[in-house]
Amino acid sequence: MRPCSREMQGMNSLLNPSSQIPLQDLQNQQIQNSHFDPNLSSNEDFLEQMLSSCSWADPKSPWDLNPPTNLPFPTNNSSSSAKHRDLFNETPSSNSDSNNVGFRNNFDESVILASKLRQHQISCGNGAAVSDAAKMMLPQQLLMAVARGGLSLNDDIDGSLSQGGDGSIQGLFNGFGAGSMNGTDGASNQSMQHFNHPQGGAMQSPNLGAQGAPATTAVMNQPQASGSNGGAPAQPRQRVRARRGQATDPHSIAERLRRERIAERMKALQELVPNANKTDKASMLDEIIDYVKFLQLQVKVLSMSRLGGAAAVAPLVADMSSEAGGDCIQANDNGGSLARTTNGNQTASTNDNSLTVTEHQVAKMMEEDMGTAMQYLQGKGLCLMPISLATAISTATCHNRTSGIINSHAPMHQSNGEGPTSPSMSVLTVQSMTMGNGGGDGVAKDAASVSKP
Amino acid sequence: MASKHTIATRHAQGIRARFASRFLRSLLRLRRSGNRFGGSQSNDEGIGKRIRTDRIKIAAYAAMARAVGPRRSWSRALLFKLRNRARIHGVSRKRCLVSEKKRVARNKVVAISREPSRADTLRKLVPGGDSMDTCVLLEETAHYIKCLATQVTVMQSIADRLLL
Repeated sequence: MRPCSREMQGMNSLLNPSSQIPLQDLQNQQIQNSHFDPNLSSNEDFLEQMLSSCSWADPKSPWDLNPPTNLPFPTNNSSSSAKHRDLFNETPSSNSDSNNVGFRNNFDESVILASKLRQHQISCGNGAAVSDAAKMMLPQQLLMAVARGGLSLNDDIDGSLSQGGDGSIQGLFNGFGAGSMNGTDGASNQSMQHFNHPQGGAMQSPNLGAQGAPATTAVMNQPQASGSNGGAPAQPRQRVRARRGQATDPHSIAERLRRERIAERMKALQELVPNANKTDKASMLDEIIDYVKFLQLQVKVLSMSRLGGAAAVAPLVADMSSEAGGDCIQANDNGGSLARTTNGNQTASTNDNSLTVTEHQVAKMMEEDMGTAMQYLQGKGLCLMPISLATAISTATCHNRTSGIINSHAPMHQSNGEGPTSPSMSVLTVQSMTMGNGGGDGVAKDAASVSKP
Repeated sequence: MASKHTIATRHAQGIRARFASRFLRSLLRLRRSGNRFGGSQSNDEGIGKRIRTDRIKIAAYAAMARAVGPRRSWSRALLFKLRNRARIHGVSRKRCLVSEKKRVARNKVVAISREPSRADTLRKLVPGGDSMDTCVLLEETAHYIKCLATQVTVMQSIADRLLL
């Protein structure tokens, strides 16, 4: 994060060439180019005029001399003005004489600069946003000028550096004002301070924007717009700056990725869960939780209803092993193509076998007791009905998917000529009859009371 | 994301068949063991039915977990839990109950003060959900829901077939 103001960072960058701040790149660019004028855009006429009036003997040399020797500046980016003050306090003490001499030469030029700048500001007035932006740029130019001229302009700065947290530039201004304009202190200082406050406010507002807000970058880089920038919300030469609302912080990138993955999975879940028209993630999660609970409850209920049907599992399992899950699932499975395709051939034969066994048992039981026989049939899911009715039903539902069962039952009975006591009866699966009803509760009760043969 | 969903549905047919075969076999096994233990269950009807319900339910979950295989985190966790339960069940049921109560009480004492968020509730529902981060949890939930749905449809079809 950037706790300190950009000006402070600029100060740091002046002294620590390794720091990565826009202002530093600004200045580096300038230094490397060693031609100040062509880098300025047309907005900076005033500054051009200012700077061209000064003669920079060797812009590089004071720059080289300054950072390593003079200024034991702390490398952390704390934004206290006290530190700033300390910087300025230390410089006179640590300056060597030769450096001072060199500085003094540039001091005059900086003073000239400062005076011209101040006059321009006073004439421009305060308040307009554009002018504020211009004023924001100007002090940065001034900062560079200070860098050029060395940071020895500090004799009277200390007292005036009481502006506030973000006031490094403002402090400089005050320093300049105090140092150079001795005569006209009262009014000029007042105006300077007035100037500085709205400037501070204007400076702060883009700074308060998100990391990488284009406003700040635009403001900071318009003067240097020539070098590498193409567009207006530009990506200047510094470290790659993401678009507005995003960040290049590795943490936030990882966070963003994680959020996207979660959103993907939520969308997939939405397709599975019914009633998933919720847009809110929280309510969607609630739906999912309720659905999982509902499914688990359904499994529990179904396992309870199994209790009476265990008797009939054996023939079913025998069928299963040979048919590989065909017939039992076939009836209720909408898409149960697996069994039909693979083991469709065996269906009829095995059904016949199980039904033959059933028939014999029914015949035996019918000889002894009709009631138990009926109960046994009902437990099996079968019932007795006249052959005529059976044939009628079978022909009517010939195309139905349950017809396979019916067909296998009915012709077999007729072919056997197996004689129940009343020859007009035949056995038909109850299932085909109750398919329309859909509920098997009543039958379940009967099944529970079937006595096992 | 659509690709993930289509892959999941392609395997659905295989899972359904495998689950159905396993479940039916385990049902048969249960029936045989039930017959062996007591011909008439009239004396202990209430508890007997509950035990049978639980056994059938466990058989269903075990069959599903095995049908899915160790590919999925939740199926592995479910199989592990069932195996542990079988082991403890064999040793002593009473001891298991006591340890359960102690564990629950301990959890309450050390309870998390914040209310359980939705993700925590989901973690409790999905087997093995404790040791997953949210992203993986959602993925496992999707697969678990799909398998639960197939389980329900198969069991329902079996029930209809048997009882009718």
